[in-house]
Amino acid sequence: MNMKLKKIKLAHQALAFVILGFGVFGLTGLAMAGETVKFKESESSFYSDLFDQNVYSEGVNQLDLGRWGRKLFGKELSSKDVNVFDEVPDSGFFTNRQGREKLSREALEKGYQETSGPDLSKPLEVLAAEQRGIYPRFWVRDARGDEYLLEFDPQGNMELVTGAEIIASRFYYALGYTVPQFTILSIKPGQFQVASQATTWEDTGFKKTLSQKRFEEYLMVLPQNAEGLYRASACKIMKGDYHGTFSFESRRKDDPADLVNHRDRREIRTLGIFAAWLNHYDLRASDTLDMSVEKNGQIEMKHYLTDFNGALGSTQEGPKGPMLGYEYAIDYGETIKSILALGFREKPWQKKWRLAGEKKQTFPAVGYFTNEFFTPADYKTEFPYEAFRLVTRADGFWAAKLLMSFSEEDIRAMVKAGQYREAKDAEVIAKILIERRDMIVRYWLSRVNPLDGFSLSGGKLSFKDLAIDYGMASKEGNVYHVEVMNDGRKGKIAQSEAKTPGIDIRPEWIPAKGETRIIFRVSRASTKTVSPAVTVLLNAAGVQGIRHED
Amino acid sequence: MTAKARKLFSFLCLGLFAFALIGYGEEQKADLYAPVYNKPLSAQPLKDVLSRIIEFPFKLIKWPTDKGIIYTEQHRLDKKTKWIYEQSLKQGVKPLFGFTDLSALPFFGAEFNLLTLARQKEKYPDLFATTTLLYCPSVFFSIGSEIGAQKIGGTGFHTKGLFSYDRQQKEPFYGIGPHTSMGDSTSYRLTTTRVGAAAGYEFSPTIDLDAGFDYRKENILNRAHDGKGDIRSIFAGQNIPGIGGDDLLDYSLVLGRDTRDSKDEATKGSYQKLLFQFTDSVKGTSARFFKYQIDMAKYFQLASPRRILVTRLFAEHNEKIDHGEVPFYDMAKLGGAGANARDSETERAFVYNRFYGQSALLLNLEYRYTVMEYKEFKLKTAFFSDTGEVFGKIHQFRVVDLQESYGIGFYLSYARNTLLNFSVAHGNEGTRFYVKNKLAF
Repeated sequence: MNMKLKKIKLAHQALAFVILGFGVFGLTGLAMAGETVKFKESESSFYSDLFDQNVYSEGVNQLDLGRWGRKLFGKELSSKDVNVFDEVPDSGFFTNRQGREKLSREALEKGYQETSGPDLSKPLEVLAAEQRGIYPRFWVRDARGDEYLLEFDPQGNMELVTGAEIIASRFYYALGYTVPQFTILSIKPGQFQVASQATTWEDTGFKKTLSQKRFEEYLMVLPQNAEGLYRASACKIMKGDYHGTFSFESRRKDDPADLVNHRDRREIRTLGIFAAWLNHYDLRASDTLDMSVEKNGQIEMKHYLTDFNGALGSTQEGPKGPMLGYEYAIDYGETIKSILALGFREKPWQKKWRLAGEKKQTFPAVGYFTNEFFTPADYKTEFPYEAFRLVTRADGFWAAKLLMSFSEEDIRAMVKAGQYREAKDAEVIAKILIERRDMIVRYWLSRVNPLDGFSLSGGKLSFKDLAIDYGMASKEGNVYHVEVMNDGRKGKIAQSEAKTPGIDIRPEWIPAKGETRIIFRVSRASTKTVSPAVTVLLNAAGVQGIRHED
Repeated sequence: MTAKARKLFSFLCLGLFAFALIGYGEEQKADLYAPVYNKPLSAQPLKDVLSRIIEFPFKLIKWPTDKGIIYTEQHRLDKKTKWIYEQSLKQGVKPLFGFTDLSALPFFGAEFNLLTLARQKEKYPDLFATTTLLYCPSVFFSIGSEIGAQKIGGTGFHTKGLFSYDRQQKEPFYGIGPHTSMGDSTSYRLTTTRVGAAAGYEFSPTIDLDAGFDYRKENILNRAHDGKGDIRSIFAGQNIPGIGGDDLLDYSLVLGRDTRDSKDEATKGSYQKLLFQFTDSVKGTSARFFKYQIDMAKYFQLASPRRILVTRLFAEHNEKIDHGEVPFYDMAKLGGAGANARDSETERAFVYNRFYGQSALLLNLEYRYTVMEYKEFKLKTAFFSDTGEVFGKIHQFRVVDLQESYGIGFYLSYARNTLLNFSVAHGNEGTRFYVKNKLAF
């Protein structure tokens, strides 16, 4: 009896503790909910990125059972951040700009701008410097109190690095990515003034006080134009709280708005495609930036792409090396192939290099940038990000559509931002980018179902065949195969074919409740295969969803 | 007014009716970019549970590695290290580092440029005075100094004086001749003290003739190692000339020609070295012999600088004269990777100093091809074969006694400086692995 009482007492005590625990937990939770979001600084660097991607992930990915399963069964991993219309909604990573509504030529040339660039009404105050190789870069403050990072061209390649940086920033911005403000700055040596507390990271690895003499030594290695001006790309230092870089793989767990793993974000996956377009071989997670800003009383995280001097024909040191864009920094696949070929395999970049007479440049401002031996599927950034490898056909179609939203004149407008002295330099770059855009788009459209722009009007579902619209398929000999399915139920309601982009929707196909799935496939006279599917969800109100097959 | 109002009302109704009719079958324009999802967005792990469990031990390594790398980069430790190395060279101290063939142990040391250290190099640019110190724990210690002039009076004449002390703790010995056994092995401790002088003439930047005179004191100290006995007991009953050490005089003449485009990572050109040396004992022992040595290699480009075929011939004969003998430590030696100055010659499937002989013949064939290039980094793969033999008199050479090594190597270089040489070779005494920061030739 005594024992029984003891047991009951013990049970009561346990229950009291549990209740107390819940109470404390609830109170803590309430208190935490009241707090503002605190972001951690996510660290990354060039070497850590190199280790993580080229060594760690390349190895550990082989232990990912899901990855093997997908490979074995030919399954693709769909992007998770696309909406019902197979589009990417605006976020801290991406804002639909050119995709939503064509930007004006002026807007394209201007890119993201808060100011017109450093205010030179007073000398720029040099706050800090860093020597990279022999060339320096400076952090300066202008008359308005805005701070900028100035990067310069190397000797013998005036306009190469600065031009590439400005142009690439315009493209990424127009595509929809978040980038800082970049402007071209032409400046006289006398328009600098070294701040009293200025410091410099020497190439020796030591931080020192930046003296006027040392600053002048830095200036001496920089090229000047005929008027004695230095040319720099001026990147405006953004205002907000800095939280390190963002990963191309996982989400930020401290950001409640960041729910989708970055690897599964379409706009991150397709960065690989846009990097191929812009020949941006050193697009790296370590060159990104996370800043939190307050907007309408809410803290928002903005995910920036920065540092574009490795785009087009440029690298920070000068013209691109011949292998850049063709191989990862450590490319196991290429290396194994070469080992097995006993040295008798000439890689595409090696052939290109040989045919170019092992010369990096015809135009010093353009660098090593041509479309010979460029194949969209084989473009490689410096590090093998899994996100870029996971691009599905649907992702590729989205990117291709975005690429084709830039007309030739749009591209020329953005290249114009590079402010090249010689018109032929700008023309060469624009021509390469236009050709490369077409090569990429042709590649993706040949692999996907290129139907888009579905709309219901007057009982007819019309759509666009983008392959025809972009001039990449003939208008003749196309058959659009249609299957009508009742959503949620198996079995076809109807099946038909059309020779022009559009089908009549019979009233009986539209259910009173729910939606009808209409599946389109395209076959062309020129190819014997039938394209993958695009599924359109339809109800009486119109198109409710679009999904391209991965 | 009322009629007007009625008319207006009728028009409005008509308009609404027409609008409704037109609108039939029209879709309501949706925002294509609205954040409307098939499924609400939710946080999901990157990998399945099992894959995460498998990855977990690796994550434990990744975290500190990343932190270490980021710390290194943030504090620019890589640049600081490079700067310290460059400053050290500038001040006249060249750090040295490498791996011995024996147990792949690392050695380290420095070369001191005494004129630079004394701030006299600019004043006497053609003079040199160096001291080199090398140390490998439990393997060797050596110190040497050279002083001389590179170009006397702006001509091709050069001269130098030298002093060195070298202590080898564990020189392997397996007997003399081609038919020795790995089982009969021991090692000896050898200390060499050398004082000498040399003079020569550089006919062109690629051709040089050098004559030298050395006094050498060789001390042999027996030592059991790895549970095996003393050299005298293991090889009891065998004549091992020079086992008691000696004081020797060397008179040498070396003709060298080198047209390689790089000494460390040649892709074309060749080198030839012909050595003739007379050695005599000053202690009255029987050590007295001529040494003839040929070392030559040619680097053929196979239609591309990325494909190189290297052929190397090494031949040495030590001819006893006047009833003299060749001390065993001065004999031709084969075995090991041959990448260090005092090593025995390259026969990679065999241990260092595996074969001692009065004569040796060695042919190295190596096909090197570039498999990876990234900026200044290059990775080459090499397939090689080393065929060699030690023997006594020239007529004692037997084709059947040739020892064969074959293998594969991976050479990583930066700006044509070898950073890593990982090789594996196989022969009839097993397989051997090498990790070095130099190539054999």
